[in-house]
Amino acid sequence: MASIAIVCSLVAAALLAWFYLRRPELTGQVKFLLLLGFGVFPIGAATTGNVAGFEHTKHRSFCGSCHVMTPYLLDSDDPASHTLAAAHARNEAFGRDSCYECHQDYGAFSTVMTKIGGMKHVYHYYTHYRNVDVRTAVFEIDLYKPMANASCMRCHSTQVGSWLAVGDHRSALEALRSGEVGCASVGCHGPSHPFSKPKRKPGAEVAP
Amino acid sequence: MTMHFGYRALRWAALSGLVSLGLMVWGVLDPHPIALVIAMSAGQALGTLSFLVFLLVVLDDLRKAQVFSRTARRSDPPRPEPGRQD
Repeated sequence: MASIAIVCSLVAAALLAWFYLRRPELTGQVKFLLLLGFGVFPIGAATTGNVAGFEHTKHRSFCGSCHVMTPYLLDSDDPASHTLAAAHARNEAFGRDSCYECHQDYGAFSTVMTKIGGMKHVYHYYTHYRNVDVRTAVFEIDLYKPMANASCMRCHSTQVGSWLAVGDHRSALEALRSGEVGCASVGCHGPSHPFSKPKRKPGAEVAP
Repeated sequence: MTMHFGYRALRWAALSGLVSLGLMVWGVLDPHPIALVIAMSAGQALGTLSFLVFLLVVLDDLRKAQVFSRTARRSDPPRPEPGRQD
């Protein structure tokens, strides 16, 4: 997609630059070329550029491009880390997009809604967190709303035998499906990014 | 809108189109948050504006050439002959 966007942009730019520099008479042929330069190719460039842009915003490297996300990025990239986030980041199917896969909203317009939410992050970053050091930011930054079980259940459907074989899953099945009991965060599996949360009470158990 | 004004507007639109294409390519080649936001907002807004200027100039040309009035005259229903009643 990115290469199509660049090719469309180059063709359109060549046509527009030719018109601007050569100042040809506005004949029918010139108008047709200008239709390509002003309309057809730029629309192609914008459409494919948007798709490429949206795809790129799903990558973990993009999420980690703001400095306050560095600890999250380093933890997810660490092959020795045992956090939930790192375990999911090692998944071959979606590991490269692991931030997006867990934090995205759900519904018909999920990508668009998630990216509109992401605009809020950009706003907060440039108005506040840009000059906040990582150590302070890591304890300040929090989710807008608790992590929904639906995020986990998109992959862990709660219907597979191996999942149901776990006693705690079976006993809390309805509560898990309804969201009454959380999977991560305050739930059995604990926070996905434990280094960013206050320490749990001594003796509190966290499922593997 | 005179031809001279229309042509000048088109040249400005071409320049603004070039800027918008540059912003869009920047968003594709260096996709960090600010580049993407600018490419998808300012870049596309400038591009749309340029295209609208082009369409206005072409429409004005067509209007001057009386393309629309001729088409309208051709598509008028035939007038009934005087004195004839269907």
